[in-house]
Amino acid sequence: MLYRRVLFDKISGFWMVTTLVTILLLPMIIGTGLYIKALPLFEHQSVTSLASSSIWAPNSGKFGFWPFIAGSLYVTVLSFLFAAPICLLSAIYLTQFSSTKLIQVMHPVIDVLAGLPSVIYGVWGILIVVPFTSKIAAPFFNATSSGYSIFAGGLVLAIMCIPYMLNMLIEVFNTVPVGLKEASLSLGATFWESIKHVVIRKSYPGIISAFGLGIAKAFGETIAVMMVVGNQVRITRNPFDSGYPLPALIANNYGEMLSIPMYDSALMFAALLLLVIIMAINFIFRLFIYKTREQ
Amino acid sequence: MKRNNLIYFVVFALILSSCASSKKKEQTISISGAFALYPLVIKWSEEYQKEHPEVQFNITGGGAGKGMADALAGTIDLGMFSREIAQEEKNKGVWWVGLTIDAVVPTISNQNPNLEQLKIHGLTRDEFKTIFIGGTITDWNQIVKEIQPNKLTVYTRSDACGAAETWAKYLGAKQENIKGIGIFGDPGLTEAVVKDPSGIAFNNTAFAFDIKTGQKRAGVDVVPIDINNNDVIDTEEDFYQSFESVLKAIAEGVYPSPPARELYFVAKGKPTKQATLDFIKWTLTDGQKYITEAGYVPINQEKINQYLEKLN
Amino acid sequence: MNRRKIIEERLFKLLAGIATYSLIAILAFIILVIFVKGFNALTFDMIIKTPKGGFYYGGEGGVLNAIIGSLYIAFGATLIAAIIGIPAALYINVHLIKKKRTQNTIRFLLDALWGIPSIVYGAFGFTLMLFLGMNASLLAGIITVALLITPIMVRTFDEVLSTIPIGLHEATLALGSTKTEMALKVLFKQGFSGFITAILLAFGRGIGDAASVLFTAGYTDLIPVNLDEPAATLPLAIFFQLGSPIPEVRERAFASATILTFIILAISLGARFLSKQYSKSNLK
Repeated sequence: MLYRRVLFDKISGFWMVTTLVTILLLPMIIGTGLYIKALPLFEHQSVTSLASSSIWAPNSGKFGFWPFIAGSLYVTVLSFLFAAPICLLSAIYLTQFSSTKLIQVMHPVIDVLAGLPSVIYGVWGILIVVPFTSKIAAPFFNATSSGYSIFAGGLVLAIMCIPYMLNMLIEVFNTVPVGLKEASLSLGATFWESIKHVVIRKSYPGIISAFGLGIAKAFGETIAVMMVVGNQVRITRNPFDSGYPLPALIANNYGEMLSIPMYDSALMFAALLLLVIIMAINFIFRLFIYKTREQ
Repeated sequence: MKRNNLIYFVVFALILSSCASSKKKEQTISISGAFALYPLVIKWSEEYQKEHPEVQFNITGGGAGKGMADALAGTIDLGMFSREIAQEEKNKGVWWVGLTIDAVVPTISNQNPNLEQLKIHGLTRDEFKTIFIGGTITDWNQIVKEIQPNKLTVYTRSDACGAAETWAKYLGAKQENIKGIGIFGDPGLTEAVVKDPSGIAFNNTAFAFDIKTGQKRAGVDVVPIDINNNDVIDTEEDFYQSFESVLKAIAEGVYPSPPARELYFVAKGKPTKQATLDFIKWTLTDGQKYITEAGYVPINQEKINQYLEKLN
Repeated sequence: MNRRKIIEERLFKLLAGIATYSLIAILAFIILVIFVKGFNALTFDMIIKTPKGGFYYGGEGGVLNAIIGSLYIAFGATLIAAIIGIPAALYINVHLIKKKRTQNTIRFLLDALWGIPSIVYGAFGFTLMLFLGMNASLLAGIITVALLITPIMVRTFDEVLSTIPIGLHEATLALGSTKTEMALKVLFKQGFSGFITAILLAFGRGIGDAASVLFTAGYTDLIPVNLDEPAATLPLAIFFQLGSPIPEVRERAFASATILTFIILAISLGARFLSKQYSKSNLK
């Protein structure tokens, strides 16, 4: 009887380890797979030149990925600038200042928005954000734009990330023990001071976490962005110009993959770039949290 | 122990289901690819199923590029293809038959302030080239005379598609050389042009015109091509009033080719499935009678015979 | 001094309030636009029927193929993710309970895994498919989505498991159970709410994601009967409906989106409800 139990324990223990190791190795496996497919590219150009070159002419065999990386970065940074302050302020308001009923109403709203398929955000983007950009936002900054721009992409991405960031921030703020706040209040601090010095400071790792989540999500989002960003290969400072983020490159040109030499390797390389950059971003954020937690 | 039973059951069910499927697979034809061919293939599948109800069709869009990629990857039986087959694709062992002809037309919004002038003078191929490939035209009055300055915006397709490649070919270039704002999908491009009076773009005839009404789709108008470069649209060049008149011009060869083009079924090597071969044969024979009512132009009989040869 | 503090507080409260209410307004606006358009086009047929030929060109039928396809893929992927993810999460909390540093490193790596975009999984899944000679099929879609949602499952379950006091572990072991028995009989029961949440969250993600199934699951007008057939999914159905030249069909895309949203809403409300239910009965 005991023997059977021990045997079962050993087998399932083995299975558990296997699964864990497999999962942890997953990014490596994916990375290796993509790398192997991208190898033909490296025969002609080195990795650094691929990533930094701006010439994109697949029919002539020239693959420079920098415009796409830059496009992705620009769109992500914009979306972060739009979303982060609003999310932070809202989360504070919802958890500290307003009634619990408001949060209860917000939760299903946030859940619905988080689950909405990205195609729909794309359509909404075309319906509302693109005209908004060309008719209101661009003239406000003395620029002209067709509306299909990095700005529009950033805005749509911001709206997509807000449910996730807000959710996380609310949870983070909620886990600050009420006792801490009360202690601070009893020491004579005002409500706002308590929030500023106690709640936010305690939630610092959580806030950074939420931001990291939002950024990673924005960087990797494909479909919604593709529909409003204009899809032009270029490097520009002007947010009202069109851009071309990395995920859009992969999704748009899936069809050309096997028709132009080395295009499939190029797209797999793009996916590999995406993988590496996102893992790097995640890594940096986690490291930051780890360090601040030590204190 | 209950968990083990569940696992056995699931595995058993999987094995069983994969056995049952192979017969059905023989009678299912999977097709994907160009939006341009989509309406025609749908019509064909409906008519074909009337005579052969045991055959099932899976038809999806996704663009010409997707059709080729899927065909070469072996994930579908036939790809719908709307541009010239490239050497690289031929090297990969592509097999094809031509089915019908349609065209890509240059489009603008019907609210474009320069509409009248454009209808009188049209634009020549070189002028189109400067707009789409040169990318230097930012205002309509750089290219059309006697008008007020007003902004010009170029739109193109962001997805790998037959329409853009065909239009680019007419201008002596490739899709990637077209300099414009990339919109995803045919209808997306149509909408972009409808919404932007300053825009210029291009579309498949099936998307610029409505087969049901026989007229141009709401909000869209076509820029006449000045074929003989005399800066005037003569009566022979003025055939854009209705779907029928455009198709006639394409059939008679008056509309240049490209951007008129042949549409193909592609596959990796000759298809081995009998059901597929039967269907293709049908499209080249009985199926041809549905072509004009679906909004397309038939290929000449000689070419059809050549393609029928390929089936044997 | 006090004055300044009060003004600062008032100002901040105002800002935060504005932010929140404008956010609510925008979010509500989005939902409204989509639902209004969706309901207008939603008919009973859409849910019940599969598309007839030419559906995307104005024909009749519905999106039943996509609804069932999505459900199949989500179920299959969640099953696989559970088989792989749950034991992994248990391992972290059972066998590694003493090795805090290893735990932290592993959690660190898992969090890094969490952010990989679905299109990367889609591209990888496509490569795998070609490598294994598979067609675009239900199976390929299930595997790709399973890869996508496994990190979600592990992480969610792990978070709940980590809150179970070590004292419970030690008490169980002291009574003579093996580690697996402890994992299955005690931890699992205590962490049940987390288990349910993990499954539902993973399922929700699996059903709504488009980029991962774009290349791998194919598309069809029929309901797949076995793993080798292509499967339609709701996100792709929406995508294709939007790609139609006929305006009525584009309206239908919103209806399909509404269907998908309802499914996801049901799942997330269920997840919240169940997790509250079960967490109350902790440590009975």
